[in-house]
Amino acid sequence: MGGGVSTKAAPAVIPRLDPIIHAQPRLRVVVALATLGERDQIAFPRLQEVVGMTAGNLSTHLRKLEEAAYVKVEKTYRRRTPVTYISLTRAGRRALEDYTAALQTLLTEAPSLTREEDGS
Amino acid sequence: MISPESARSPGHATCPDDASPSVGASLSFITAWRRQTARRLFGNPELVLAAWGGAWLLGFGACYLASSPRSALAVPGWLAYLVLGVSCATAGVVSAVETVRPGRGVVGPSRQVTTLYWWSWLLATGGLCLLMLGLGRAGLSPALLSLAWPGLAVLVSGVLYAVGGALWQDRLYYALGAWTVAVGAASTFAGAPGNLAVLALAGGGGLLVMAVVMVARRTNRWAEA
Repeated sequence: MGGGVSTKAAPAVIPRLDPIIHAQPRLRVVVALATLGERDQIAFPRLQEVVGMTAGNLSTHLRKLEEAAYVKVEKTYRRRTPVTYISLTRAGRRALEDYTAALQTLLTEAPSLTREEDGS
Repeated sequence: MISPESARSPGHATCPDDASPSVGASLSFITAWRRQTARRLFGNPELVLAAWGGAWLLGFGACYLASSPRSALAVPGWLAYLVLGVSCATAGVVSAVETVRPGRGVVGPSRQVTTLYWWSWLLATGGLCLLMLGLGRAGLSPALLSLAWPGLAVLVSGVLYAVGGALWQDRLYYALGAWTVAVGAASTFAGAPGNLAVLALAGGGGLLVMAVVMVARRTNRWAEA
């Protein structure tokens, strides 16, 4: 993981990959939420069904995403039944865009890249 | 942070939980997962178009064969109406399933738009049936009715496709609406029963072609993403 790949000719920078999104289960949740409209929300059981996770697993990953302000979790009542709605925040949507762009940069320019930490 | 080694090794989208997947694997995973979730949350509009395309092709086609003196295939009138009724009912069920089921558990503006849009179809269908009943009661001849109702049904569908295209900013869907409106209106110029052949081939065929085009477009779009 440590050493970067550097070339004298093209000292480009390896973009940082957001560790919050990089874990596959959270990536699955964020991508699923990003397919919805900007102000749309999805009920917890439906999201669970879509991403195929246990309730406990999904709650854990949602907590991490919520701490990063990438998702908004709203507890409310619908016909007197408690229901939890989840939506992607603007920051979350932006984070996914940045993450995808960073992956593309890495894939196309990886051989000529050097690490950001190397200060180049 | 991702390793440079993994950055150069595209792999499969399936990775163990919490492990760091390679760059290629992550990108292909995002593409595949977007496609899967979009299908789960929005259904398959192509399937709905194909169902209605097939219904018009079979239904109007059977009605044409039953009423055309030049038809090489003798189809009894009752059978033609049965084919039309069953194929339209099947397409209606496919539309309902593909619209209601995927959107459950989702709330918000886009869901509201979708719900109201599909209610517009039910309203238009009900209104059209009432209009035809009224025209029949007012003395419009069966010959004119048989020319008016299929053309109007297709024309109204075309208007709703165009509205859908405008709502979701989909030019292809809007173009389908424009084409369907033109086919519905032009069918009356063919006279009866030629109008049914026009609606079956140009109307139903148009929907089927569009279903194929939309599948191809989606495949290309995801491949480029």
